Amino acid sequence: MSVEQEKTNENNDDIIVIKDLNKWYGEFHVLKDINLRVKKGEKIVICGPSGSGKSTMTRCINRLEEFQRGSLTVNGVEMIEDVKNIEAIRREVGMVFQHFNLFPHLTILENLTLGPIWVQKKPKKEAEATAMKYLERVKIPDQANKFPGQLSGGQQQRVAIARSLCMNPEIMLFDEPTSALDPEMIKEVLDVMIELANEGMTMLCVTHEMGFAKKVADRVIFMDAGEIVEQNTPEEIFNNPQTDRLQLFLSQILDH
Amino acid sequence: MKEFKPLPDQPAPNDTVGPIHWVKDNFFSSAMNTIATLLILALLATVVPPLVDWLLISANWSGTTQDACTKDGACWVFVIAWSKQFFYGSYPTEELWRINLCVLMLIGVIASSQLLNKDWRNKFSIPAFLLLPFVCILILDGSWIGLEYVSTDYWGGFALNVLLAAASIIVAFPLSFVWALGRRSEMPFIKSVSILLIEFFRGVPVLALFFMGSVMLPLFFPEGTNVDKLVRVWIVLTLFMAGYMAEVFRGGFQAVPTGQYEAADSLGLSYWQKTLLIILPQVIKVSMPNILATFVMLFKNTTFLLIIGIFEVLSTTQTALTNSNWLGGHSTEGYLFVAIVFWICCYSMSRISASIERKLDTSHKN
Repeated sequence: MSVEQEKTNENNDDIIVIKDLNKWYGEFHVLKDINLRVKKGEKIVICGPSGSGKSTMTRCINRLEEFQRGSLTVNGVEMIEDVKNIEAIRREVGMVFQHFNLFPHLTILENLTLGPIWVQKKPKKEAEATAMKYLERVKIPDQANKFPGQLSGGQQQRVAIARSLCMNPEIMLFDEPTSALDPEMIKEVLDVMIELANEGMTMLCVTHEMGFAKKVADRVIFMDAGEIVEQNTPEEIFNNPQTDRLQLFLSQILDH
Repeated sequence: MKEFKPLPDQPAPNDTVGPIHWVKDNFFSSAMNTIATLLILALLATVVPPLVDWLLISANWSGTTQDACTKDGACWVFVIAWSKQFFYGSYPTEELWRINLCVLMLIGVIASSQLLNKDWRNKFSIPAFLLLPFVCILILDGSWIGLEYVSTDYWGGFALNVLLAAASIIVAFPLSFVWALGRRSEMPFIKSVSILLIEFFRGVPVLALFFMGSVMLPLFFPEGTNVDKLVRVWIVLTLFMAGYMAEVFRGGFQAVPTGQYEAADSLGLSYWQKTLLIILPQVIKVSMPNILATFVMLFKNTTFLLIIGIFEVLSTTQTALTNSNWLGGHSTEGYLFVAIVFWICCYSMSRISASIERKLDTSHKN
């Protein structure tokens, strides 16, 4: 599906709408005229060389990064300066980071219940029951009372995914979730993500795991120098790149 | 396929472990090290026996006047005779139980923080610790709770040093945290006010602050109000402490990775939830050694109050030394006693803080 077709296809299915988004770090133009629409339940993999703006774009969606021009709407709420809007959007968007970012002073269970208790004002018992449910889904309920420092990287990342899921988000953002992991731990995290994808979660995932992209992505976005260079189905992206830039990128990540 | 079997662990070679190796490794590892060890042993052999003799063996322990000090050693009779004043100042004798009660409560709260589990520590020990100085002020004063009123003119001795230090740090703690937050703020007004306050109270010598407190501070109070001298000292100590602690906290803030802020933001926590639930506990953890260092400094600085005529322990000691019945030159014993009391307190605090650090350490790295 081309960008033009996407634009004409305006309907209420679009859970994220990014229009002409531009961002600068001081004088440096990091994101250039980004246009992106994401349907509810769609799985998108974003790839590109480092410095291409893929993480920055993803982080704009829950306002970890500000942008200077353009508009961004998440689940019908427009991203503006208002704290109310920002908090409303953040409640709908879960995020998983490269370095897990679990809270080291809290136990696993407390990491998971903090958001539900303080943001969603759920009773502690209910929050703990939900937390245990998600810990079982990521297959580490036995670690509930340990601290993050006692877990392996793969386990920590699965806890981080469970922590986001406890907030019952509409959208999950993954910012290079497996880049900081030992090779043997990547699979356990990807398995959880694949399961999540199969359940119909809307996902945006910055990753270089091409196997994962082929398996679950509805659409792969290739970025370079702050713009979206190509977006298409995984088959088209990998087998039939339209630009020399993507061809070069693919040859470099696949040929070794 | 061949099965992979890990090799079994073997004990370390004999000559790298054990007490003999430890002594060899730490005291006699090289020629220079051996010479240093021998020199230090010789020095200790000449210094320690006479010191022990003066302090303990030939020391005078019993009696009530300085005439009882007949032996060559230290005249501890002086310290024993004045110990009530040293610890309690001139607080009325029949009301001393109030001070003892406060000390007992302090010990109880500290013990509870060491013995209770995390849940109860948060629910009981921390609030109790924060309230204790104020409860003690009410008990010591007495007039608000139906006890006999004891004017602050009679408060003194080591108890006053402890009370002032504790009451100051507890108010300084939240104040300095807010100042440190203000210094990191992106709002120019709040930021510059915070910097101004921090740098003023950090940059002015504490003695100058004490004089300002006793001379200048009354000018800021409404006319006709007579603010107690101790309250003014309390304010000065608090602000001084807050200036230092704010910088300690700022260092702590810088040690918290940005990922922690981002994770808190992405969960949708509000600014204050993020600051108090996620950032503050981690800031306190990394700042613990420096918080203690600042507190020890403040605690010792309370002895400077003798200069503005507050009867804390050092000023009581000087009074005792100039008493006409005790003009036998007991200053060594007097000052040594004060030094030992402070050292015991500061050392205990550093042990307690080390144990808190261990409790807060959740990294569990081997």
